[in-house]
Amino acid sequence: MLRIEFRIDLAGVLSRLFTVDERIESAEIDNALPVAGDSVFLFLSAQFGSSISDERLSEQLPDIRIVDITQADVAQHTYYLRVLADVSDASVLSLLTENLAIPHRIVGKDATLDIVASVRDWNHLKEVASSIEAEHGSLELIGTTQTEGMGFPLGSNKIKHSMSGKLSEEQLEVLETAYQMGYFKVPQEVTAEEIASELDISRSTLSARLRRVEHNFCALLFGPQE
Amino acid sequence: MTTVIIVNADDQQPAIREILESVVDDGETVYFLRLPAIRCLGSLIQELNPMCNYDVEYTIDCLPEGYDVTDLVRFAMDVDATRICIGITDRTLTGKVQIDDLTQSILLHESISGDFVVGNHAIILEELEYDS
Repeated sequence: MLRIEFRIDLAGVLSRLFTVDERIESAEIDNALPVAGDSVFLFLSAQFGSSISDERLSEQLPDIRIVDITQADVAQHTYYLRVLADVSDASVLSLLTENLAIPHRIVGKDATLDIVASVRDWNHLKEVASSIEAEHGSLELIGTTQTEGMGFPLGSNKIKHSMSGKLSEEQLEVLETAYQMGYFKVPQEVTAEEIASELDISRSTLSARLRRVEHNFCALLFGPQE
Repeated sequence: MTTVIIVNADDQQPAIREILESVVDDGETVYFLRLPAIRCLGSLIQELNPMCNYDVEYTIDCLPEGYDVTDLVRFAMDVDATRICIGITDRTLTGKVQIDDLTQSILLHESISGDFVVGNHAIILEELEYDS
């Protein structure tokens, strides 16, 4: 089994998102469900440069029915969008699944779509690439690796969704500050004292909040303690 | 069995060592095919000496200036290569083997197919079949 990463020109629903007036850093297809007819229900994550509103986005994207927009708890200006779109607006996703490849990530950024997918073997890679080139023009292979299985489709942002509402604002603030300052890097780029000072809290408060965050992560992964 | 090793960088010792030690079989014929940008294989061969330790017969060839993938595929067909090996020059942030233009052209070429194996230092295309 091969996991491949490739790049094509921005297209479909993600390219439409990049046409809105508000600056957008990146957008990703998290999930897709078929709808009767030629429509598809898409679950997207989009990182904007500033705050956006449902009405404003709907005005600028008249061809796409925005069902719901939720602002993420964990990252500023990241929004989860549920939209009803024409299946042609997710053509790369359709091409992958029609060719029995498993899409793992479809990310729009800097005028390109970066796609990670699993294919069976070299011949399968050629079939998939040929079908995508026929529809989208050129394709640039970025990287590949061998894997044991096909893995799970899309949904790399699931953990973010799952954590939504499971951490308090204080815990999120501590976690994000520690992460941004390099506390979790090896070697550490900052000490606990420096983070506590940045947040104007005591070191013991910082430690307690970080432990609660870790506890919540573990509860999500392993379920309740026995 | 015949193996073509594409030498696409000056620092391909780990890739070539991996190919010679764990990919090619004893008594196999090995063609080192260097890209025009790689001027000389002297130091590379010297470092791998004695080549006879690997019990392979080898020759060194060079792709012409301004070559394209068809020249490479034709070379592989002419020597009836059962394998093409390409050194891994870099990896992506997520650890995938980075694919350069030449490797992409080979992988997507309509006249060549087979098995695709990713090693630690080299990409190995084996069980090659050709559509002329």
